[in-house]
Amino acid sequence: MAAILTLEGVSKYFAGLAALDGVSFEVREGEIVGLIGPNGAGKTTLFSIIAGSQAPTSGKITFQGRDITGVKSFRAVHAGIARTHQITKPFRSMTVRENVEVGLRFGRQSGAHSAGRGPIQNQVREILALVGIERLADMSSVTLPVGDLKRLELARTLAARPSLLLLDEVCAGLTESEMASILDLLRDIQKRGTTIIYVEHNLRAILSTCQHVVVLNFGKKLAEGPPQEMQNNPAVIEAYIGKKAEA
Amino acid sequence: MTPGTQFAAAGGVVARVLRFAVPLILLSALGFVPLADLGANATKVLFLTCLSIGASVAWNILGGFTGQPSFGFAVFYGLGAYTSALCINGGVNPYLSYPLAAGIAALASLLIGLPTFRLRGPYFAIATIGVSEAVRVVMTNLAFTGGASGYRITEQVPFRQLEHYYTGLALAALAVVISMLVRYSRFGLGLRAIRDDQEAAADSGVNPYVSKLAAHAVAAALTGATGGVYARYAAFISPDGVFAFQRSVAILLMPIIGGVNTIWGPVLGGGVYGVIEEELTARFPEFHLLLYGALVILIILFEPGGLMGLLGRMRRLVLRLRVGSWQPS
Repeated sequence: MAAILTLEGVSKYFAGLAALDGVSFEVREGEIVGLIGPNGAGKTTLFSIIAGSQAPTSGKITFQGRDITGVKSFRAVHAGIARTHQITKPFRSMTVRENVEVGLRFGRQSGAHSAGRGPIQNQVREILALVGIERLADMSSVTLPVGDLKRLELARTLAARPSLLLLDEVCAGLTESEMASILDLLRDIQKRGTTIIYVEHNLRAILSTCQHVVVLNFGKKLAEGPPQEMQNNPAVIEAYIGKKAEA
Repeated sequence: MTPGTQFAAAGGVVARVLRFAVPLILLSALGFVPLADLGANATKVLFLTCLSIGASVAWNILGGFTGQPSFGFAVFYGLGAYTSALCINGGVNPYLSYPLAAGIAALASLLIGLPTFRLRGPYFAIATIGVSEAVRVVMTNLAFTGGASGYRITEQVPFRQLEHYYTGLALAALAVVISMLVRYSRFGLGLRAIRDDQEAAADSGVNPYVSKLAAHAVAAALTGATGGVYARYAAFISPDGVFAFQRSVAILLMPIIGGVNTIWGPVLGGGVYGVIEEELTARFPEFHLLLYGALVILIILFEPGGLMGLLGRMRRLVLRLRVGSWQPS
């Protein structure tokens, strides 16, 4: 499979502190790629850079053959990259339906491109049904519990019709059954042809959904490979739980 | 469906009908007001009220829908007033001078917006105060508009108060129509998204910078036209009048009193302010701003939704009492 996203030597410095230091990897089309690492490893910074919320200090990002280094986030959305946030960011004055409408009407295939997909309300319903919150369409987004907020965030992001979906800890704070159903949903989204980069602390979630895992530590890429291999990689184990004490 | 939910559904339909019927009735009533022969003074108050409504509704497009509270709308009001004044004295038809006033104000809004929209929240508000004061000082020292002494408009036509009144009413109606068009459009949805969370809006594909500039331009154009209509009526304008900081505060106060981020709140706020302002200024020339200050504090503390919020609260209370009084047989 061809690479949909390529990162070459991406670095980000905050006043001399390296949050990311020369990170390079490729994401192949149609995969779910896990991005893991201890707290402060630079996962969310990397997400923000790919999604255009922050510009890298140096390095190059190529998406579907186009150089997208440093583009603004709304342009990244129009190019086909959409992200969720670790702490959900619903549009609080809007209903669930209106939240999704924003993604539909401003996302990649908004305007003329959405013709042929039917009226906008049908598209909203379809997306809400996909993430399983159709019944909440007319609820105000402020009244939703965490699990439904995570689904709403996912729905609004999917509404932008991305080819690359960046998910930031969509399972954090969810119960076991909620997590299982979200992971089923991710596999379903993948089957529909969307590539996913998935940041998660829960290793079980990563192991059960991802085909490839990239491990970050202190802003550098520590290792990458199939999930099972990463689980047994001594460097990864050391980064997470430290070294065995010498006798 | 239980009688309770039937009642609520019927209430929803009634509310929808009222939402359009009440303003239409109000507007028609305002159209017929002069026939009641209220006298010159009352007509003047109603004319100024229409202008207040126009500016209030305009500010709400930026401050309410988009959540960017500007303290600098006197700039657009003043520029509109001076543009119209210069045009009319130059022989341009007054009704052509209003779109020109709107255009100049919109242009100014872009010049102001380009740097200030890089700032957020309180920093943006402070920047607008700075720009507003700077423009006032420049206008005070500009020789060809008479500087601090002001500028007189000389028209070779008799003064017809009713013509001014209907121009003001038409402008207020236009402002409301534009506000509704913005609110229920794709553009308006983007503005609401920016108001709620600018990062999330950009992450959904909304271009926040361009959207804010556009909202600013629409609001400035309407405010500029309002200033133009005022200038022709007043026949004399000065920087300390049309560019005054108090004018900026008044324009911002009206939608806050009525209820920001709604269609009818700014209309209500502009109406209330327009009617009582004259009276308050006359009775308490030194204290009327203090009274407004106290009013804003009370509104923010107890009813941030303004008069519309208060009306909504009362409506819910009445509905609850009536649904509560229904007993299953």
